[in-house]
Amino acid sequence: MAKLELVAQLKGHNDRVWQVSWSPTGNMLATCSGDKTVRIWANTSHSNTSQWECIHVLEGAHKRTIRSVAWAPSGRELATASFDSTTGVWEYDERDKEWECVATLEGHENETKSVAWSSNGSLLATCSRDKSVWIWEVESDNDFECLSVLQEHSQDVKMVAWHPHEEMLASASYDDTIKIWREDDDDWFCVDTLKGHTSTIWAIDFDKTGDHIVSASDDTTLRFWKQYKPNNQEGIATPGNQPKWMNVCTISGQHERCIYSVSWSKVNGKVASASGDNHIKVFAEEPTTQTDDAPIWNMSACSSDAHGVSDINSVSWFPTEKHADWLASGGDDGNVNIWRYVEDGV
Amino acid sequence: MAFSSALVLTDLNDYISPSQACIKPVEVQKKENEEQTSIKVNEAGNYYEVSVDGTEEKLESASISLNDCLACSGCITSAESVLITMQSQEELYKILKTNAEAQAAGRTDDIITIVISMSPQTRASLAAKYDISPMQAHAKLTHFFKHHLGAHHFFDTSFSRDFSLVESAREFVERYRTYMQKGGEQIEAARLEQEEKEQAEENTNGKTRQRRRRARPGDGDANGTASLEEMPMLASACPGWICYAEKTHGFILPHISAAKSPQQIMGSIVKDFYAKQLGLRPNQIYHISVMPCYDKKLEASRPDFFDEEFQTRDVDCVLTTIEVDKMFSEQNVDFKTLPEAPLDELFNKIGKSSSFQNPTLYGSSGSPSGGYLEYILATAARELFGVQDVSNNLYVQTVKNADFTEYTLKSSEGKPLLRFASAYGFRNIQNVVRKVKNNKCAYHFVEVMACPGGCINGGGQIPVPAEETNLTAKDWISHVDNIYRSVEGVRPEENEAVKALYSEWIGQETSDNAKRLLRTQYHAVTQNLTNPLATVW
Repeated sequence: MAKLELVAQLKGHNDRVWQVSWSPTGNMLATCSGDKTVRIWANTSHSNTSQWECIHVLEGAHKRTIRSVAWAPSGRELATASFDSTTGVWEYDERDKEWECVATLEGHENETKSVAWSSNGSLLATCSRDKSVWIWEVESDNDFECLSVLQEHSQDVKMVAWHPHEEMLASASYDDTIKIWREDDDDWFCVDTLKGHTSTIWAIDFDKTGDHIVSASDDTTLRFWKQYKPNNQEGIATPGNQPKWMNVCTISGQHERCIYSVSWSKVNGKVASASGDNHIKVFAEEPTTQTDDAPIWNMSACSSDAHGVSDINSVSWFPTEKHADWLASGGDDGNVNIWRYVEDGV
Repeated sequence: MAFSSALVLTDLNDYISPSQACIKPVEVQKKENEEQTSIKVNEAGNYYEVSVDGTEEKLESASISLNDCLACSGCITSAESVLITMQSQEELYKILKTNAEAQAAGRTDDIITIVISMSPQTRASLAAKYDISPMQAHAKLTHFFKHHLGAHHFFDTSFSRDFSLVESAREFVERYRTYMQKGGEQIEAARLEQEEKEQAEENTNGKTRQRRRRARPGDGDANGTASLEEMPMLASACPGWICYAEKTHGFILPHISAAKSPQQIMGSIVKDFYAKQLGLRPNQIYHISVMPCYDKKLEASRPDFFDEEFQTRDVDCVLTTIEVDKMFSEQNVDFKTLPEAPLDELFNKIGKSSSFQNPTLYGSSGSPSGGYLEYILATAARELFGVQDVSNNLYVQTVKNADFTEYTLKSSEGKPLLRFASAYGFRNIQNVVRKVKNNKCAYHFVEVMACPGGCINGGGQIPVPAEETNLTAKDWISHVDNIYRSVEGVRPEENEAVKALYSEWIGQETSDNAKRLLRTQYHAVTQNLTNPLATVW
């Protein structure tokens, strides 16, 4: 069994930490909280990976909890989704060395739950308890234009995630489904609805290739979905000539309670999950020479009571090779933990 | 979301589930004294508040009306759907029945005069489904309502729409002139400069999805001018748009045209003018309108369109195209083979062409959502710039997506004189509203409609019939659109019947009558969710 070693514990937020997000370009972590702020943490010592400091606090833009924070691929912008129904867009000003809120996207009727940037940074997706998913495009002059309002979920939409390379969006909802969205010549539409979970899906993540999705649900399972493109060799039907996603593996019995977050490392391929049962678990795919239509996933590490008796709301793997074994987590205790995944015999 | 551009009764598969409670706040009067009171329930099940000295006060039961539900988004749409059925063909059948009974008993004074007004979009939808011409549809509908069911009159809202167009155009010209007086010239000049700058940049850098650095304060932002309420003017005929604006964007209400919609103007014509003509009180007429969407039911029940004196609404009941189509099967009528009845002479937009004695149907040119943009543009061009024929200098461009189109009227030197746009669908409304809020809207008039594709694709229109397996929804809408446009457009000023009624009923264009009968108001809805406990996560 491998293990998760605690590298650093970052304290500073005055309320539960809802999401942790690594900067795509630097050793920085952005965390958002019920205290209506975003904190940016940096590892301030080259030699000591346990030395972290809060280098920025982004506040004043939201009137309620900030539920989600996401870095733009450039690493110079952040988006924050808040329960006050707005989404803030922040830019780092090189001259003043300060983060500034440059735009506020309005439109959702109530609490926004998640925000995500597309892989090339030109599109932003937000979702809300009002059951809709909105897609925004960046215009000149920091104006964002609403490209589409997608209202096909029948309940609260908990999370949105973009494909790592294409302009394809996935959304997870309280209605127990995941929907995949793409654009045709005039508007965005739902290409596929992934059914299988028996309760709310809290989190989803794509793998490095974008052909697989892992989902975490209130039904205590993790499910893996694989994309079958039209004319696939396995003979899976692709209605409407659109890719079809199938549930190829289900991990159950590993968590006792609702799984709130899941992260699929784009570097080492492992999947980390965080649950209301207070544990963080890491899963690795069994290496196999066969096709991946029926992968087998095994638990390889577990951190019990990772945030004491508190729920863990978010886990996220470090995005690049530099610290491929780092995992960040945020919990109801208001702490941000940075873990290192250590293999057996190391 | 409560934005019901595609609300369909048949999608109901659940009722108000216990986990989502109604959040309509109950207004509680704040009492002066803080003394203890208790609640008592008597045998009849009525609740009384008993104060310390023993006096009992009957408590009002909390109620939810159709308006409350349709304007809120607190619980599932099924609740709204259930209440929308309160305005249905059942109401019409009831009145017909009471009339029949009164007729049989010889109580002719108790007979209610039943008037139906139909929208041209509904007519086009039915004509498409049954594969007949609009005139045939109109004549068969006249037969169905008047001779089969027993209604008294069948009118066409294309007629009342002319009044709405005239009033909208007049208002626009007024607003534009005021705008110019208040410094509009400078704003226009600044906009033009900005446009030319952006065009030059585009020519050198090319159009990409790149972000430009934000202009720092002091870098010379040309758009730092004060916002004026006059411009842009936004169309007002769509109740879906109006309800949304009142509920979420109160700041935009001064921009919305005060002109009433064709449905409501017909309501005024019927209950004010025609009632007097017939020597009836307004509440002795039952006015039903047939419309392409469900939001028109909400419009009809607005307090502004309720006559306090006679306790009657200008439009008593709204039926959608789908509901009327359902009536055919309920009445065991084969619509296609119905005989064609002669059209009502009054309040229909018809004319007799010189070569045939049979009347021809007329409509309005422009969009199938009423042709507001086209008419206002033509009128404004003529009255403000002396341009008689806009087609020579009109530049039309589809921006962003198929439901957002720009119409720019340029002078012979190429300078933009009027910038108009049509924005249909929720996402485009979002963009228009946001631009207006940030004072970045360069348009003078925007025809805003809630449904993608406009009224021809309203939520109450007949969808692609099951037999048409080769047609997509888009093809079908296009087909219905073509049928709608096959009815020739005639300007209000070229229609003698409209001109005659206008002078007889309204009088002068600027008279008080015009304001009272042809204009309306909007009211911002303030959200005060007094009971957060009712919200279930």
